[in-house]
Amino acid sequence: MHRETKVSNYVLAVFSALSLIMLSLPLSAPVRAFKACVVYLFDPLVYYGDKGVQRLADMPPGVARLLSADMENVRLQAELRRTQWQKAELESLRNENRRLSAALGLTAPVGRSAIWADVMERDPLHWYSNIMVNVGSRQGVALNAPVFGEKDGEIIVIGRVTEVRSDTSIVLLVTDELSSIAVYLSSAGVDGLAQGQGGPRLRVNYLPSEAALTKGDLIYTSQTSATFPGDVLVGRVTAVNPSDPFLTFQSVEVQPAVNSTSLNNVMILRPEGIAGEPAALPPAAPAAAAPRKKPAVKTDEVARSTTAPEGR
Amino acid sequence: MNHLRGAFLLVAAAFVQWWWSTHFAFWGLSPQIPLVLTVAIAARQGPAAAMGYGFVWGLCLDSLRPELFGANALVFTLIGYGTGTVRKQIDLADMLSQCVAVVMMTWGYFLMYGMLGLIFAKSFIWVGWAAFICDPFYNCLLVPFGAGLWFWLRARP
Repeated sequence: MHRETKVSNYVLAVFSALSLIMLSLPLSAPVRAFKACVVYLFDPLVYYGDKGVQRLADMPPGVARLLSADMENVRLQAELRRTQWQKAELESLRNENRRLSAALGLTAPVGRSAIWADVMERDPLHWYSNIMVNVGSRQGVALNAPVFGEKDGEIIVIGRVTEVRSDTSIVLLVTDELSSIAVYLSSAGVDGLAQGQGGPRLRVNYLPSEAALTKGDLIYTSQTSATFPGDVLVGRVTAVNPSDPFLTFQSVEVQPAVNSTSLNNVMILRPEGIAGEPAALPPAAPAAAAPRKKPAVKTDEVARSTTAPEGR
Repeated sequence: MNHLRGAFLLVAAAFVQWWWSTHFAFWGLSPQIPLVLTVAIAARQGPAAAMGYGFVWGLCLDSLRPELFGANALVFTLIGYGTGTVRKQIDLADMLSQCVAVVMMTWGYFLMYGMLGLIFAKSFIWVGWAAFICDPFYNCLLVPFGAGLWFWLRARP
């Protein structure tokens, strides 16, 4: 017999025998389970719709339960991701609500309205000096506009706008060496000038030498400030500097009420009646709505604050 | 054809058959690529190789329809043997004779599969008149493709 024919006959016999053995054995269920697993792994249609469910219908119940559990797991994971996103959104809205509620308590000067902005950029080399925000002249931001932050529902002074571009602005922080603000100490009732030190602290100079200054005293913006509305929190006294016999005034170290380098949103007061988006806040609330109680302002404080060299 | 190309042909044909019959079946009809390739291999390389490929492809098809696991493997083995044996009497090198062989083997496939169903599942598995009439000619359309693939695999170094 020809060799090829002989080999063919052997191969035919072997394969036929194998096939008949497989046909005789009850292999349908394990093969169906294997097929279901392979199809589930490689066919994306199984993940979607009734078609996939129908395709899984004729497999052994154990495998069907396993695959159904995996499909449900995928669906629940997607739902969980969606829920987490909704939670984050809810948290963001809650923060915004708190922030706006606090802003409603701010006594904005007549003729100004507030706009919220996101902090876009911080310069690592000038960390306590300035930040860039995402509003500019198109949104009505003007030069020297006061900028505020929010912490625990309270509005706090951050700085002022020193450079305005079309859609961005540079904010000079109160901690910059060139920044100064007319302020008063809440308990002592005396005015001074808060000046940045280029670091995390401020120093309030020009306080009367006879005034009794205490650690922990709160610092607010003075009504005499040309830039900032009055009675806005600036910080807290952390140290009273020893009196210098050669100087006619005292000074205190102040910790800003909010770390302006960690803020994500700031509020800017802009002139009202600008072309652009509407004002974010109603006109200035009556003085009674202000959250803080301002101590009586003395006439001599006003005079002193007016002459204080506020600004750059 | 070395082993690597052979393995590629095995996997590719099985995958394309599965993908086509799952997603591109037209009125329930899909070509039987493994059958066409088994005939092509038998016509050119003889029954032994055709039976080897046919057996593996048959197992793949059996895993898709596991009611009669082993039936396709047996039928494809027989198709490879039959075509490889017939080539000694008939020249199967040209397309026309291969087409005739594919038509005959497709009908043979349907009948043998049905008979195996009668033996092992107690009922003749009938594919339906539409498939019985149309599938052989549908398979004929793939004969040039099978021959071309064969030459392409042979021509590469």
